[in-house]
Amino acid sequence: MSAAPERLGDLARVVRSKNAGALLFTLDVMFADEATYLRVRDSGALDASRIATLYGVSDNAVDVIPYDVAWAIKVTIPRPVPSGDPADSDVYGAQQHAPLLDIEIP
Amino acid sequence: MVSSPPLRLLAASGMLGYGFTEAAFENVLAGGIDVIGCDGGSMDPGPYYLGSGTPFVSRRAMKRDLALLLEAGVRGGIPVIIGSAGGGGGAPHVAYTRAMVDEIAAERGLAFDMAVIHSEQEQGRLRAAVRDGRVRPLGPIGELEEATIAGTTRVVAMMGVEPLQAALAGGAQVVVAGRCSDAAIYAAAPIARGYDPGLAWHLGKIIECAGQVVEPRTGQDCVVGTLAADHFLVEPGHPDKRCTRMRIAAHTLYENPSPYLLTEPGGTLDTRACTYEQVDPRRVRVSGSVFTPAPEYTVKLEGVSALGFRTVFVAGVRDPDLVAGIDDFVAACRERVAGEARALGVDPQSYTLTVRVYGRDAVMGAREPVREPLGHEIGIVADVIAPDEDTSRAIMAKARYALLHTDFPHRKCISGNLAIPFSPSDLPAGQAYRFSVWHVMALDDPLEPFPIEMVRVGR
Repeated sequence: MSAAPERLGDLARVVRSKNAGALLFTLDVMFADEATYLRVRDSGALDASRIATLYGVSDNAVDVIPYDVAWAIKVTIPRPVPSGDPADSDVYGAQQHAPLLDIEIP
Repeated sequence: MVSSPPLRLLAASGMLGYGFTEAAFENVLAGGIDVIGCDGGSMDPGPYYLGSGTPFVSRRAMKRDLALLLEAGVRGGIPVIIGSAGGGGGAPHVAYTRAMVDEIAAERGLAFDMAVIHSEQEQGRLRAAVRDGRVRPLGPIGELEEATIAGTTRVVAMMGVEPLQAALAGGAQVVVAGRCSDAAIYAAAPIARGYDPGLAWHLGKIIECAGQVVEPRTGQDCVVGTLAADHFLVEPGHPDKRCTRMRIAAHTLYENPSPYLLTEPGGTLDTRACTYEQVDPRRVRVSGSVFTPAPEYTVKLEGVSALGFRTVFVAGVRDPDLVAGIDDFVAACRERVAGEARALGVDPQSYTLTVRVYGRDAVMGAREPVREPLGHEIGIVADVIAPDEDTSRAIMAKARYALLHTDFPHRKCISGNLAIPFSPSDLPAGQAYRFSVWHVMALDDPLEPFPIEMVRVGR
């Protein structure tokens, strides 16, 4: 199963973000088939430290949860500020997923 | 374990006022239904709606949905449960929904017993809970301080199944509940009748967003959960729509930090051993859900504090030199506004001026990884939050003038730096709030913070 590197955005069926409460963003990456899901899950490309670097948060603030039954990987990170705070610019948290699209999957 | 016949629960819409098709609703009623439920709220739209006591759906849309549910429920003797009434579930939201129920009952000649369950929390109760060590943060936020409580505009607690069960046991035909776990709307009646709590909570969690688990996704619509002793089925209300195994399995991802362990008042829903099966093209069977009671019963607290009055200003920039130098320009304007504020006798510490530059990093801020030269035009959205409307408007007027006329290197557009799309340019946005309470509170009695009022409607 060795393939040329591909962008996560080209491999995933869904890449989305949303609030999980007022203090967290949760990002879901979902795949159309099991083989692609397993390739990404097992590649290590979505490990907590990679996500932490990408979003500028600390490693231990990131949760990455593979969800085999739905061929999905969930990533949860803290918000920079609570939803709707004066410095917030994404009250629903629906546009925080884009950096994931460019992750290269080996 | 019970030997009762399967219990059929309807989630009419993901949100009261987001709508559902009458074709789906009639199809569900024709098939028989035991409970009609609908979630009425969310904190997703941010702190404003809880603070202001207003709904975030239109009155017209909410009344359309509610009238259909009440008519069918009351005429059919089917309990109707509305959770998180009015959006935030605070006292004004509950009162708004209650008044709408009265209005619909009068218009349609309906008479019934209604339970109104309150969830807004008095500051005294919260202070006592803090002193007793019963309150702790829910996520990355500080401990709840008594000074924070004193500054809150409104705090609600999120009820579990117990207040809803008490309302139904008291003979309520219609339950208008304040802030309420979405899943509890659907888990309450089954658990009271002895059905497995793991399956009941999981069913509630799956159907509470209603049309979100249905294909094709052509807007909100009814979803039915059918609960048996050892499994539940999920199906769309509409005869031409379907539920797929993947969509049902994926739904516990939605807006939750984990798809496996979902915290509810009084315990945790554990889906790790679940199986999801497509039984026919429209229906999915779920089994294996487990509910683990927590050592102590906790409810979530959500609260907001008023920040002041907000004024918003929107404009575009097309000048290439200004686009290239926008950061220094905004910093210079900010300085200039602070000076102008002092001249008006306003302490610059007393307001916030936020300038978002769309086209650069307005969406992600410091987390934006793309740092490339900007495009040919950018958008500026500025807002001022100040203690009162007069000050807010005054500071925004100064900020508008500064952005429009402040000099920058190589400036040639000396008659104005901005394309302002609207007149008036400065838009009052009302009171601004922030979430200041996002905690959990431990209870001895799950009913205690949720007083239930039984009222007779329409007679």
